[in-house]
Amino acid sequence: MSTTSTTQTLPHNASIERPRSGTWDGGNEPFKASYGKLMMWFFLLSDAFTFAAFLTTYGLMRHRHLAFTGDHAKFEFSTAYWPIPDKVFNSFPGLHGMDLPLAFVALMTMILIFSSVTMVLAVEAGHRMDKADVQKWLLWTLLFGATFVSCQAWEWSHFIHGTEEGTKMLDGTIFHGANLQMNQYGPVLFADLFFFITGFHGTHVFSGLVLLTYCFIATTNGTFEKRGHYEMVEKVGLYWHFVDLVWVFVFTFFYLV
Amino acid sequence: MAHHATDHNQPIGEIPKPVTGWIWKTFFVLVGVTALEFAVTFIMDPSTFRNSILIILTIFKAFFIVAEFMHLKHETKGLIWSILVPMALLIWLMVALITEGSAIGEAIYSAFS
Repeated sequence: MSTTSTTQTLPHNASIERPRSGTWDGGNEPFKASYGKLMMWFFLLSDAFTFAAFLTTYGLMRHRHLAFTGDHAKFEFSTAYWPIPDKVFNSFPGLHGMDLPLAFVALMTMILIFSSVTMVLAVEAGHRMDKADVQKWLLWTLLFGATFVSCQAWEWSHFIHGTEEGTKMLDGTIFHGANLQMNQYGPVLFADLFFFITGFHGTHVFSGLVLLTYCFIATTNGTFEKRGHYEMVEKVGLYWHFVDLVWVFVFTFFYLV
Repeated sequence: MAHHATDHNQPIGEIPKPVTGWIWKTFFVLVGVTALEFAVTFIMDPSTFRNSILIILTIFKAFFIVAEFMHLKHETKGLIWSILVPMALLIWLMVALITEGSAIGEAIYSAFS
């Protein structure tokens, strides 16, 4: 019967220093995805819950209020019923006084979808270790993302300042635009939800721009090249597509239906 | 196999050519469906039926973004399900709360009628 313990029989070489990598030692990747990517997926899942909560609240509030039932062409703003979105969002920068329902928001949607495309192109270039291409496509994504946020700033500004005619409120005064307590377009909650939902989405786009800027700087400095992979670009790409995905839903539930 | 042979003959350090066909295909699907959504919004009168079409088209777009751009289609089955199953619960949440909203509205507007 041997009294030698198993730990002493191990040779004093690198094997004791090496991290254990057996199946039950944490040596395999769950779902064959890297730690970072997996965590990004689960973060995005939790973020999807947040946005779903906002959009569900919108649905609840919309159904809790009366709907406008008359002729679409004769629609007027009133706090008595929920407004028709294409009557609220019908202006375009530089085209004052024209009725262009949802034209600007369509442009914003196209810009964001296009930024998603340039992001995939950046990820694709990263797989090929093509530093110059990654830089190029990251810059395009940054440009389109920044354009989208600027468009949203204009949209907010227009929404806040309102139309020239304004709307007669319950107390008999004329009110222009909207804030968190007053709203010329309809019930106060319509404006509140507009600010919260598009604002929260805009904050996400802004965070995405910060992450993209970091990726661009690190790519330029050769950080990812030295690391041997562009996984960071891939992870930020996941986030960026998620922001686009949320906009697809905001677009439908806030502007179309 | 000829394609593979050229890959092997490539000198070390050379960057392969980009393969972007699938990206542009997905892009045109997204643009096409968005255009269709617009057409539906303005051609049809507001109704539950119109909104159902819009929601189906939206989910169709979401599928393309998640499956292709976010690459989920090419991940393992376990990852796909662990993302999709919790999302499916949100449909329940939405249907439940929209029904609740209608009930609250009903209670407020027809309380004294």
